[in-house]
Amino acid sequence: MENLVYIALFAPLVSSLFAALFGMSPKKQFVGVVASVLLGISLVASLMLASYVYTTGNTIHVTMMDWISAGDLHIPFGFVVDQVSVTMMSVVTLVSTVVHIYSNGYMDHDKSFNRFFSYLSAFVFSMMVLVMSDNFAGLFIGWEGVGVCSWLLIGFWYHKEDVSREENPSISPSWAANEAFIMNRIADLGMLVGLFILYWNVGSLQYDEVFAALPHLSGSILNAAAIFLFIGAMGKSAQFPLHTWLTDAMEGPTPVSALIHAATMVTAGVFLVIRANPLFSMTPDVSYFIAALGTFVAFFAASMALVNRDLKRIIAFSTLSQLGYMFAAAGLGAYWIALFHLAAHAFFKALLFLGAGNVMHAMHDELDIFKMGGLKKTMKWTYIYMGLASLALAGIPFFAGYFSKDAIIETAWNEGTLVLWLILVVTAGMTAFYSFRQVFLTFEGDERYKQYGIHPHEMYKYVLIAMSPLAILAVIAGFFKEPFEHFVTALLPEYHMSEHTHHIAWLLGIVVLVFAVGGIALAFKKYYKGLKRDEALESSWYYKLLANQYYIPDFYEEFISKPYAMISEKMWNSVDMRIVDATVDGIAKFLYETGDGSRKMQTGNLSNYLNWMAVGAVLLLVVAAVSAAVIG
Amino acid sequence: MDNILSVLVFFPAIAGLLGFVVDKKSARAYGITVAAIEFLLSLWLWFSFDTSNAGMQFVEMIPLIPDFGVNYYLGVDGISLFIIIMATLMTLIGMMSMSIEKDVKNMIITLLFLEMTMVGVFVALDAIIFYLFWELSLVPMLYIVGAWGGPLRVYAAIKFFLYTFMGSLVMLVGMLFVAYVYHNLTGVWSFAITDWYALVLPVNYQLWLFAAFFLGFAIKVPMFPFHTWLPYAHGQAPTIGSVILAAVLLKMGTYGFVRFSLPMFPDASVMMITPIAVISIVMIIYTAMVAYAQKDMKQVIAYSSVSHMGIIMLGIFALNSEGIGGSVFQMLSHGIVSGALFMLVGVIYDRRHTKLMSEFGGLASVMPKYAVIFGIMLMASVGLPLTIGFVGEFLVLLGFYDVSPIMTILAGTSIIVGAVYMLSLYKKSFFGPITKEENKTLKDLTPKESWSLIPLVAIVIWLGVYPKPVLDPINKSVNAMLVFMDEKAITAEAKEMIKVPHAATKTGEVK
Repeated sequence: MENLVYIALFAPLVSSLFAALFGMSPKKQFVGVVASVLLGISLVASLMLASYVYTTGNTIHVTMMDWISAGDLHIPFGFVVDQVSVTMMSVVTLVSTVVHIYSNGYMDHDKSFNRFFSYLSAFVFSMMVLVMSDNFAGLFIGWEGVGVCSWLLIGFWYHKEDVSREENPSISPSWAANEAFIMNRIADLGMLVGLFILYWNVGSLQYDEVFAALPHLSGSILNAAAIFLFIGAMGKSAQFPLHTWLTDAMEGPTPVSALIHAATMVTAGVFLVIRANPLFSMTPDVSYFIAALGTFVAFFAASMALVNRDLKRIIAFSTLSQLGYMFAAAGLGAYWIALFHLAAHAFFKALLFLGAGNVMHAMHDELDIFKMGGLKKTMKWTYIYMGLASLALAGIPFFAGYFSKDAIIETAWNEGTLVLWLILVVTAGMTAFYSFRQVFLTFEGDERYKQYGIHPHEMYKYVLIAMSPLAILAVIAGFFKEPFEHFVTALLPEYHMSEHTHHIAWLLGIVVLVFAVGGIALAFKKYYKGLKRDEALESSWYYKLLANQYYIPDFYEEFISKPYAMISEKMWNSVDMRIVDATVDGIAKFLYETGDGSRKMQTGNLSNYLNWMAVGAVLLLVVAAVSAAVIG
Repeated sequence: MDNILSVLVFFPAIAGLLGFVVDKKSARAYGITVAAIEFLLSLWLWFSFDTSNAGMQFVEMIPLIPDFGVNYYLGVDGISLFIIIMATLMTLIGMMSMSIEKDVKNMIITLLFLEMTMVGVFVALDAIIFYLFWELSLVPMLYIVGAWGGPLRVYAAIKFFLYTFMGSLVMLVGMLFVAYVYHNLTGVWSFAITDWYALVLPVNYQLWLFAAFFLGFAIKVPMFPFHTWLPYAHGQAPTIGSVILAAVLLKMGTYGFVRFSLPMFPDASVMMITPIAVISIVMIIYTAMVAYAQKDMKQVIAYSSVSHMGIIMLGIFALNSEGIGGSVFQMLSHGIVSGALFMLVGVIYDRRHTKLMSEFGGLASVMPKYAVIFGIMLMASVGLPLTIGFVGEFLVLLGFYDVSPIMTILAGTSIIVGAVYMLSLYKKSFFGPITKEENKTLKDLTPKESWSLIPLVAIVIWLGVYPKPVLDPINKSVNAMLVFMDEKAITAEAKEMIKVPHAATKTGEVK
């Protein structure tokens, strides 16, 4: 079993290094194939581990070697395969494998094909380190590792030029990449501080030791640790106010968006909260804040998705919104439901993104859904896939999202947080609306793309086949809810609905369903027949507010980026050069000029010297007299 | 070899003298050979180093002026060992990558002398010998900047020399005073640092002496606001000068704090924690912002050095094993990474004779290998886990958290502001379309450049993944120092602040 752990973990690393060997050479098809096979191996190993943990209930814990030890701090490279990590491993490797195969088709015309696979596999390796580590420092390795891979992949088309925000809201891939990295770093500082708090109060960063020591810690320390760890989670999972990077990250190639910015990396924050559930369950106030923030983000992101015209950005906002749902569940103590939604979401959201990738591939990288329409004729399979994924996302009965998202909404009711419940229900309706607005505008109605001279075509067959596991899971994953609950609650706290909630569960379900179906119906009415633009609506202030993401990116630009650059410039020119350095030079100059000035005393004239001698003698006498008076 | 340390110190100098008779054409090869032998000798030192011993090893002592207790007294412990290896490594790599055409022979000889002074500083256990090498190191550097530098080289060289020299003179007065006090208390003269360690000084003496040593070390580090000589020196120095300056010479200052200030003045050190932490935080944030404002690639790296030295200073004054150990490790890490970054800037300067970022853009498309290595060094510089840069920074911040959470959060912004200036540099130079015609035909790394940089990349990753072989001996010596400081401290506050790790007390490791 230990070998399987290492195979699951290191196969992606091998894949990355192998692809890196050819990183600078022209496209080599076998690089993509080998990478996909290695990822497949990792998937098989993860599934075998999952079945082992499932059947025996045992967990596997391996320690590879020491990493850092200084003073009393000892951090090993240790990995743990338990119910939570094996779930994450299976989800990550499954989506990764599909995305790797998919990328063979999607990136086929890209000259940096090999480099792409190297980055993509490196990402998977980092993600595996993140989920498998047995300590917080190891988690942080993966945490930063996925950050760098995300930076590399968002900026994959680094040669593109910076343009104005009107032309492209993300400015350029390299700009978006830097934004993502820096914003994540802000959160990472919080995460580090969380680690420091735990270390100095517990004396270790190992999960088991930390969790065992929690009952002995004071409430304020627990709260501080929970807050700072959650700040870290907010960055990776793009929670408000650190959310702007996620939509800009759509500048990366679409398989990247599917894998990193939908299915895996952005859920790392949720994973952290789930993993550290012993801590968060002891800090009800922080947890409630997490739930409230998650609910807010769910609504906030969905509202921006309502009006967006960019195929990928709509899905990105939707991801943001669903992450909000997961945090709501985790914050309310339903950790296993959060994990369940995380997994289900990974499947249907990756599918949705890959479908969007097919559309982009067909439409020559056009992203504006107002320029699409009627694609169902040429792209039947993509339509079916995206339709299924959207049904799952909207929470239509018996698709995956129905089981996972409804459970979250039910939890909000069960906890008595009716405001949260109401917002989540409304958001469910909005989710259904924007998902189907997108689907209908893309696939139904008039073929608006014709006036742009685009000739769409369906994606390669093998790519469509590779996507099928995700499609199947998007449909059936919900039926595994009960075995899943049984499986992960061996480790996570159980969560049961109260008797009362249980009785009216059917009613709650119907309320949500009404909103979801209502959203779809509204989208059907407005967009099924084609695009009818409403000038009055589009020029209204609230439409503009949503379309400009509440002007938050502009606010950051004006009140953070620009002042930072300006202050930096001032620090350099005015402070460093004019004050600090000028003072140093001033002192040097003073010394030099004193010397130069006093040189005039050296006249060579004997009577002058005698005069100076007399002055000196008098001065010395005065000094002697004064000091005698003071001391004596 | 009993006198391996003397060999390490004087072999480059003697070889440098012999270098005068070497033919001009073969001067380079000669220099590299000597530097390589010196590096191997330093590795041999490591292999024969007893890692279970926290004290001084390979000690050599020859009386020079017995009446005044001045001895030729050398030794290494876990703290100095790796700095020495880094110094010999960076000299070797610097020479290998050197692109200077003018007066190569003079440069080689100068570098070999410089190597003697650098190794000398880190092995000296007698204050006078330490001071001798400390001051001598200025001369070759003055010559390198003044003779091979840019248009403002004379101003920069003299500024560097006078500024650091002035600080050192105050330090010398401090040293003489310590010896005087030692004589008053014991009746014998001694300049041996190990003798001075045993001296328990009254707190007001400690404060004055701390201030005297501080001036010498702080200008060298350089600490804010004494740092303005550094951008000039880097701006004018040739690549090799910047590499050695950033990698090794700056470390003399921080090493001085660890070797002298902490063990000799434990109470004063504890009292100075807050002021020094404040200065360090200013260094970290302020110079990172100044770095962001730079137009010249090399100036970004120069200011980033000051910012990273702030982290090192902060760790030293955490006064616990994690912090000090992390600082010493960060000295090595900064040496390797900033040295490599200066070499990388030199690569592009050799091709384009400019370092302005606005002249570049899109370099990643024409120079992919260069972009990869620059990228790795960038990530090490911003402290990515599994690179050498993370270990030290993490330990320093972790260590200082125990002293002050608020100040640690302020200092921790280094991971943000550091990313801001480095990523912006990378974006401006490497990303985007190629706008300048001259850049379209740039050649990627030559084999000479690759062979100089690849070993550094290997070290960056190796010590990032497995820092143990280096961290353990450092940790051992740091623990011993802390135990000893704790015993020696007079004030209750100092005893409270100096944290002896449980690991060190359990095994009763008392020197």
